[in-house]
Amino acid sequence: MNRRVVVTGLGTISPLGLDVPSLWEGIVQARSAVRRITQFDPTNFSAQIAAEVHGFDAANYMDKKEARRNSRFVHFAVAAAKEALRSADLTITDENADDVGVIIGCGVGGLDNFTTYLRVMDTKGPDRITPFLIPMMIVDMAGGVVAIEIGARGPNFCPVSACATSGNAIGEAWHVIRRGEAKVILAGGTEAAITEIGIGAFASARALSTRNDDPATASRPFDKDRDGFVMGEGSGVLVLEDYEHAVSRGATILAELVGYGVSTDAYHITMPAEDGSGAVKAMRMALRHAGLEPHELGYLNAHGTSTPVNDRTETLAIKKVFGDYTAKLPISSNKSQIGHTLGAGGAIEAVIGIRAMQEGLIPATINYHTPDPECEIDCVPNTPRQAQFSSFMSNSFGFGGHNVSLLFKAFEA
Amino acid sequence: MRRVVITGMGIVSPLGCGVDVVWQRLLAGQSGIGPLPEQISAGLTSTIGGVVPSLAADPVAGFEPSAIANSKELRKMDRFIVLGLAAAAEALQQAQWQPETEDAQERTATLIASCVGGFSTITQAVRTLDSKGPQRLSPFTVPAFLINLAAGHISIRYGFRGPIAAPVTACAASLQAIGDGARLIHSGEADVAVCGGTEAALDPVSLGGFAAARALATEFNANPTSASRPFDQARDGFVMSEGAGVLVLEDLEHALARGATPLVEVVGYGTTADAYHITSGPEDGSGAARAMRLALRQAQISPEQIQHLNAHATSTQVGDRGELAAIKHVFGENSRLAVSATKSSTGHLLGAAGAVEAIFTALAIRDQIAPATLNLENPDPASEGIDLVAKEPRPMPIEYALSNGFGFGGVNASVIFKRWQG
Repeated sequence: MNRRVVVTGLGTISPLGLDVPSLWEGIVQARSAVRRITQFDPTNFSAQIAAEVHGFDAANYMDKKEARRNSRFVHFAVAAAKEALRSADLTITDENADDVGVIIGCGVGGLDNFTTYLRVMDTKGPDRITPFLIPMMIVDMAGGVVAIEIGARGPNFCPVSACATSGNAIGEAWHVIRRGEAKVILAGGTEAAITEIGIGAFASARALSTRNDDPATASRPFDKDRDGFVMGEGSGVLVLEDYEHAVSRGATILAELVGYGVSTDAYHITMPAEDGSGAVKAMRMALRHAGLEPHELGYLNAHGTSTPVNDRTETLAIKKVFGDYTAKLPISSNKSQIGHTLGAGGAIEAVIGIRAMQEGLIPATINYHTPDPECEIDCVPNTPRQAQFSSFMSNSFGFGGHNVSLLFKAFEA
Repeated sequence: MRRVVITGMGIVSPLGCGVDVVWQRLLAGQSGIGPLPEQISAGLTSTIGGVVPSLAADPVAGFEPSAIANSKELRKMDRFIVLGLAAAAEALQQAQWQPETEDAQERTATLIASCVGGFSTITQAVRTLDSKGPQRLSPFTVPAFLINLAAGHISIRYGFRGPIAAPVTACAASLQAIGDGARLIHSGEADVAVCGGTEAALDPVSLGGFAAARALATEFNANPTSASRPFDQARDGFVMSEGAGVLVLEDLEHALARGATPLVEVVGYGTTADAYHITSGPEDGSGAARAMRLALRQAQISPEQIQHLNAHATSTQVGDRGELAAIKHVFGENSRLAVSATKSSTGHLLGAAGAVEAIFTALAIRDQIAPATLNLENPDPASEGIDLVAKEPRPMPIEYALSNGFGFGGVNASVIFKRWQG
């Protein structure tokens, strides 16, 4: 018999603020966090806008010297993990450290440091490279440093599946706890790829919005005039816990993770399968795990990147899974507000979904003005909607053909 | 619980391409380490590495990219993806696994790890950006460097539509791919898991970065084949190599039903975090010891039943010492365990190391022979009480063998294989 897995803590660093309350406030206010890029001069770039995290100082979350040795994507993860641990009211001691794991994914790792030191090498020679370059760059370091900072010695790994990364991290953590290999996992993702090469490379793949003159309206999932995604950055971490363990320590249970659907398109490196068949399989698998019929789902937190092809195929896939019920299912994309945080997206969006379920308020898809006949869904346009619901699904899809659907339920003993 | 067996294996390494030839060369005591080309090594303190030989350099077992993909496709892939495709092709050929039906495709998982992904692609892209501007970047920059695209390309080429993943845990990555693959089969989410790792990071920036972290061997540039010397007193760092290893894991019933030949059985897997330091493990090897114990527990065997251990042993002072301590913790002193460190021959393949060494571990069981640790002239005093297989391979009965993989970030993984006698 598999163990039940519940959520007992949440933490985020997002373009809407440096913790979960400020993120949720931004969601309630339906604010856009997209601005002109400040982390480098974007003048020569076709895409000059992004959803950046502002006002973040790593020294508020870890030793200053340690912070200097790590990348921004690691800083974000440490901050989000510490908030999540605090909210779970969990103390890690020598006795329980082996039972607490960390599974934090990242799509691309320390691109900023890489670029800096490549330039150092080219201008001053390889002897001037910092000894911390490798740990600054490699993506598993987020989970490694979080484990060190909080003293978690249980299972620790780093799934990477582009924009599906943190969906996979949360799902894999679910499996680890269900199998009884750990009592608690801090699971999620982190990303800080708003760098020259990050923006330049995605722009050259024609994936980014170029609505530079009006940043706040650039990310417009499901709108007919959408023209690409807006890059975001940040981190989301969930404390997932064995139900019995949570109960025995008197933890507050925020939600239950009941389904994890995963599939591969095996179709194209950057395009989803045109018929959405991979996404269909992932959503159906999550429903099957949860023992839910499609019409019983309360809310769908879409991948909804605001690229022409994603939103079209995701709509198609949703219609295949939910049939006539699609018209009644509220579906929204938080990327309209916080941009696409790549490897952190699935986790931040899961946090938003859980908060939404607690508050009985469905987040909006902002910037929705012109309906697209190929995206005929109830996307909760522009204003959040009051509605009690007791289950939601969160989709994440990634370059490489990865599809992940997570299914959370309000907790019932 | 479902039983998991290995039905196919593929290697691309500094010792050549192809499991059989690489294994023969390993047993013959050959080294894959040599001087790096000047355009890579200029100005570096470590000027050696393990390059996958080209077909021109090694007509018997060299690597020919055009055999893997046409020139148009190759432009869209970093070298690590191409190496991964090559190892996968060999493994799938041996396993004779080419699913045609939708169900069989959906029951096949793809888990291919890497430590750093498309390093040279991103290096090129930064230079293009600096010299010509962002508009001149290739549209394939992102899919060429993303780490998960090795798995992506393999899944696309063969139509594997089951779970897909790219575990990235530095030098433990591909061992975790194997462990995760076995779990997917145990839990019934897949019948077949194509898993392993690939790496092509012989690039000035990564070499410079590891050198700056003082992780690379620097004292043996004049004598490259002696530079990788795990457990030897004179060791002074690892030698970076490139390559790929892919294994086909399969549910035993599934394999037998389709007439596939199991090579060994995967019986144990354990993974832990040190929670200690970003680049070094604790001196007492406690995290590594816990990983080995977890693997033993899953295999439901006692330490004495393991006859052979393929060590992670990268040839760094601290890493090797920690692993020796861990081995003593788990197996005691003066046990009959025969320990080999094959990085002495191949160098360190980073994210591909775990898979390549798992393959060597499987072959050691199949052929009942423990490979040698090259360059082990003056064993570290800390190895006293541990039976290191030095210089010559050792024919011996091996029923169970264990392979370790550890990574920056404090990651430990251990896998245990059992002899298959059908």
